[in-house]
Amino acid sequence: MSDVEVSAPGRAGRAGRRVEVGKLEEFPVGKFRILKVESREIGVIRMENGEVHAVLNRCPHKGAPVCKGIVGGTWPPSDVGKLDFEREGRVLTCPWHGFEFDIDTGYEVYQERPARLKKFKTDVEAGTVVITI
Amino acid sequence: MVMVEERTRPRAESALKVIDCDVHPTLKGGLKDVYPYMPKAWVQRFLQKKASAQSIALTMKYQHPNGSAIREDTRDAEGHVGGSDPKVVVSDLIEPFNMEAVVLNCLQAGGTVAALASTDEGTVIASAFNDFFINEWLPVDKRLRYALTVGPLDPAAAAAEIRRVGKQPQIAAVSVPLINILMGNRYWWPVYAAAQEFDLPILVHPSGADSIYQGTPISSGGIPDSYIERYVTLCQIAESNVNSLICSGTLEHFPKLRVMFAEFGFAWLLALLWRMDRTWRQLRHETPWVKKSPIEYAHQQLRFTTQPLDEPENAADLGKMIEMIGADQLCFSTDYPHWDNDMPDQSLRMLSMADRRKIFYDNAAKFLRLG
Repeated sequence: MSDVEVSAPGRAGRAGRRVEVGKLEEFPVGKFRILKVESREIGVIRMENGEVHAVLNRCPHKGAPVCKGIVGGTWPPSDVGKLDFEREGRVLTCPWHGFEFDIDTGYEVYQERPARLKKFKTDVEAGTVVITI
Repeated sequence: MVMVEERTRPRAESALKVIDCDVHPTLKGGLKDVYPYMPKAWVQRFLQKKASAQSIALTMKYQHPNGSAIREDTRDAEGHVGGSDPKVVVSDLIEPFNMEAVVLNCLQAGGTVAALASTDEGTVIASAFNDFFINEWLPVDKRLRYALTVGPLDPAAAAAEIRRVGKQPQIAAVSVPLINILMGNRYWWPVYAAAQEFDLPILVHPSGADSIYQGTPISSGGIPDSYIERYVTLCQIAESNVNSLICSGTLEHFPKLRVMFAEFGFAWLLALLWRMDRTWRQLRHETPWVKKSPIEYAHQQLRFTTQPLDEPENAADLGKMIEMIGADQLCFSTDYPHWDNDMPDQSLRMLSMADRRKIFYDNAAKFLRLG
């Protein structure tokens, strides 16, 4: 059974369309909800700070459903034997090959030539989350 | 009467400057040759126990099928084994190929201290071999450069040995005979600290004892059953150690550390580095001390000698492989006086002169500070 929810369709055939995908409180903090918006699967997540991010559910590496991965932090470059931890709740780790993406920027972390998630503009208007696709 | 054609080198070959990164000197008379360089108490011990370091005691199945790995045609006029007379190394190798320098790495010492001797015996033997070559070989010709041997069973003593003789101007590297502790392990850090302090690269090479004795690095999958099987799988030791040096963060921790892998081949390197790069990118956070792609560490801090060159049916395929690996990664070596040697005139002719210059001279001159 698919856990992808079908959202209200926008008007097809035009770029920059705005689609209402649900009330803000319907999106749990720190966990992606994956919606089918027209032909796309888009993951929507509410962050601890209240920001909402929308990410195409397709890893730029090999097409995995990236939004089903771990939302957590990461261990930044450090000296040998030393372990630091940062960006808690702000890193999406792909469930297939482990690519780590900063949810804020969409960029893969700590790479000279980073891959990048496809993101969509989000707004919260009168308590409703609106994605621009 | 049979006429022997005099060998003359083509002009292009003569113009090619050469550093040979892998030449193997040996003792004419076994361990007793280095007794003058040992404390008396140790000499008495070795005499009483009838110790010998004439050669690594290979098991029957790993004996060379033709009787010896050392070329018969490299014996001196008195019939001594090849590689036992520095003047012959000069006249038979350095002069004919107009080499700028050759790096002497004594496997007789390496194999002995890695597997045959006790920890303290190994420390004494390594020092005695070093003093022997420094005193009896290096004055013969300035082009003779020497990789000082350290005992791998006592890293503190190994570091002390580097500090004792590392400043000798004809010392080119520190030869570390490998044991079954991977090179990224912090066990080795005192050795690396001393090598870095003296700006000397680490030189690793099959010691001759590998895959034979407990405590040496063993080829994976099982025990080889012949000389050929063992020979072909020795590259696995280098693969494991490249992997370890990078993943452990050792190359990050010692940014000036340089390691040369000799006689392990290099065709496997591309596959290894691709796999390392891929896996690091995917699981970087497990080893966050690896701060850049493993490929970058390899290009900056590791080099690989060319011998034994693989011989694909289409020689150009080897050229393509080198192009993919990067000519900057490789340093020419003959392995003189061993049977599977590669001589400069017959080696890597499929490459451009620019790449040949890098591999035959420039890379080693820079990496070994021989320029």
